[in-house]
Formats: sequence, C-alpha cells, structure tokens
Amino acid sequence: MREMLAKTLAVLTAVMIIFLAAAFALIQNG
Amino acid sequence: MRYFIRGLFWITVYLGMALFPCLVLLSGNMPPGYGYLWDFSLALGYGAASMMAIMFFLTARFKRPALPFGVDVIYYFHKYIALLLFVIVAAHPAILLATEPVVREMLKPAQINRYMVAGVVSFLLLTLIVVSSLWRKQLNIPYDTWRLIHALLAIAAFILALIHIEGAGYYINTPAKRLIWPLIMVCWLLIQLYVRLIRPLRLLSTPYRVKEVIKEADEVYTLVVEPRHHEIPAYKPGQFAWLTMFYSPFSMKEHPFSFSSNPEQKDELRFTIKELGDFTKRIKDAVPDQTVYIDAPYGAFTIDRHPSERGYVFIAGGIGIAPLRSMLRALADRKDQRPHILFFAGKSLEKMAFYEELKALPDQLNLKVVFLPQHPPANWSGETGYLNREILARHLPTHLPELNYFICGPAPLMDMAEKELHAMGVPLQNLHSELFDFV
Repeated sequence: MREMLAKTLAVLTAVMIIFLAAAFALIQNG
Repeated sequence: MRYFIRGLFWITVYLGMALFPCLVLLSGNMPPGYGYLWDFSLALGYGAASMMAIMFFLTARFKRPALPFGVDVIYYFHKYIALLLFVIVAAHPAILLATEPVVREMLKPAQINRYMVAGVVSFLLLTLIVVSSLWRKQLNIPYDTWRLIHALLAIAAFILALIHIEGAGYYINTPAKRLIWPLIMVCWLLIQLYVRLIRPLRLLSTPYRVKEVIKEADEVYTLVVEPRHHEIPAYKPGQFAWLTMFYSPFSMKEHPFSFSSNPEQKDELRFTIKELGDFTKRIKDAVPDQTVYIDAPYGAFTIDRHPSERGYVFIAGGIGIAPLRSMLRALADRKDQRPHILFFAGKSLEKMAFYEELKALPDQLNLKVVFLPQHPPANWSGETGYLNREILARHLPTHLPELNYFICGPAPLMDMAEKELHAMGVPLQNLHSELFDFV
C-alpha cells in the first residue's frame, strides 16, 4: 500500500510535467 | 488528519518546485515558437532538469517533509520518479533526433560543441545511475560503494545538465528566466552543504559508544549503544535511525535500522540486526567503547501515530520483529491494559529473535503471542508454516476491523497480510507497514 502511494505520486508528478511541456509547446506554436 | 494536511502541503510544495521552471518559461515575453515538437522537447528537458534538482531534496532526509509519509515512502517515490525522469530525459533528445535534421548535424563528432557534449554525457551518466540502481545486487556492487557512486554520478549529471541548458540558451532571454537555473543551482548547493557538511558535523558532536553486542538468535545481533555526554533523541516506538559505524560521518557509509529498544528508556538505544550483507555481518565485531554515530529518529511506522482503543495486532516475519519489539516494550512500560496480539513467523525458533522474551511478555502485557516457526521442534503444539487467512481468523477477535495492524517482515508476508486482512474487512487506513528494503 505504501509502495502504491509512492508510485501514484510519482506518476502524478511526471504527468503534470508532460502536460505543462505540451501546454507550453501549444501556446508557443498556436 | 493533521498528518494528511501536512502531507498535502508538502506534495503541493514538491509539485510547485518541480513545475516552477516550466511555469516561468510560460511567463513574460516569449520569442516565437520553434515548432511544436521542438518546444515540447525543450520543455521536457527543462522539466527533467528541475526534477533532477529536487531529487537531491528528496534524499536529503529533511525530517519535516518526510514526517507525514515516512522516509520509506519518500525513498520509494525517489526510485519511481527517477525512472520516470529518465524516460522524460530520454524523450528530450529522441524527439529532436527524430524530427530535426539540424540536431542530428549538431551531434556529429566534427560539429559537436561543448554544451551538446555536456548534454550527451549527462544523459549517459543518468543511464549509468539507473542501471547501477536497478541491478546493484546482480552487478555485485557493495551498498556503500554504490551509494558513493550514485551520489557522484547524480551530482555530475545535474551540473552537466545545467551547462547544457545554459549553453543551449533557449527561452532564457529575460532576466527572470536567466535567473532560474542559477537559483536552482544555489538551492542545490545549500542542500549539498547541509547533507555533506552540516549534518555530519552535527553527528560528530553527538557520538555514541558501543555498550555491548548481544546474540539474539542465529545470525541476529542486538547492538546496544549509549550516548557520550549528551541525551538520546526522543523517538517513537517503531521508528528507525541511520547508523554509521567503523567510519566517520563524512564517509556516507550509513545504514538504516529500526530501534528495537523501548523509547521510554532514556540511557541507551538498541538495534537488532540480521546478518544479510557486508555491513550487517560486521555488527558482531563491534567492541565495547567503539564510537558509533546515529542520525535519528525517522519513520512513520509507530503506534503513537495511530491510537487504537481496542488494541493492536502486530505481524512480524524474521527480523521484522525489531520495530515491533520496540512497540511491545513501550506498551508494557506504559502499563497498557488493552488486549494485543502478536503473530511472529520465522524459519525456526533458533532463528527467531527475542523468542524467550516474547514468550514471557504476556506476564507484563495483555498480549497473546502466536509463534509460527516453519520448522518447529518435535514437541511443538502451536501454529506452524506460513501465516495465512485461516491462522489469522483463528486468533483474531470478531471486532477485527476496529483494530490497528502493524506489519513488518519479508515482502511476501506483508503483501499476504495486507491483502487478507483487507479482504476480512479491515479498512486500509488501519493497516500500517514498513518498507524496510528501501535502500
């Protein structure tokens, strides 16, 4: 259960980074 | 609830730090885009670099951020986020190489410049970090050596990544954007200063001496230490410490061990350790008066965080008994009246630490002890074999969902106990376990 918590937080963080990177590229290139 | 709110606060802080450089990139005057995939790849690179910086924050063992989760969860998070970081870092050049002929040209040996070399080497070092961490045991790398290599590679990879960013120079055209990476570098240097200098100096000023080494069972020893002219840190039963022995605190050769002592006893600390590796095999060689350094306390695995009106259930496998012994001794010392149950599984009675002591503990505490030796002696009339649902059901009371459970032992035992107890109606928030193989 504790390992699952760590995994979930890690995936959440990575998804947010990728999402922001995609948003940045989208804004920059219309 | 207090820990839940604190946990949410620190998750927000972490995400804020991880996303900060990307958010700054999105702010202010921006030059025109270079193409969707080009910019996406660049932003991934920036995100990865900020995650690399925060990686050092995660393993710096700051007590406050770790408190709501427990250091074991932080280290597991470090492991998983590092793997995801590696994928994001790999995606950065992969996208550019696949879509931009100019990048392929830049990487040709005749044309490659310093900052591109820095980027390539940084990526190679990260690859080395991942390989050496995932397959350390298969590669026969001793833990202490691995830890030193891991830190040095991580430092080099991070510095090279910053050189790469600074050299490439994209999207750092305004003063605020130029300032981000030096600012991250300063924060990172402060963390390094704390971890490599300030904390070792503090440990050096609070040394302990070995009082004795007690053989508890086959290949299991208790190291008893007492402070030299200072007080022991207040700790909760079930927490753990980082122990440095045979070396200086500056050596980075420290190992995590649970306290097996009663925290109410203020003049000594006990660590019960099984011989499993190079360091643990040397515990028995410790001599009285030898100096030991202890960084403590850490961990969220303690009865003091989970009040349980109707008592506790403890489930231990092998050396997992160490933190549970600390909790049981604390309960006995506090004259606790609630009914408790201990399931203790091991290979044989000779290999189960504290067997005699635990057998006698019901005289001092309202405790039912269920020993589970896989290979019991000939005249054994108790339970045997592996812990399973039938054995749990035989000994647990009908109000089992109301109890709090502390589980510590080999992964298969912990997985089984958590799964079966949850299936029997125990809410997940009442199941507490310690991931003690997190390093």
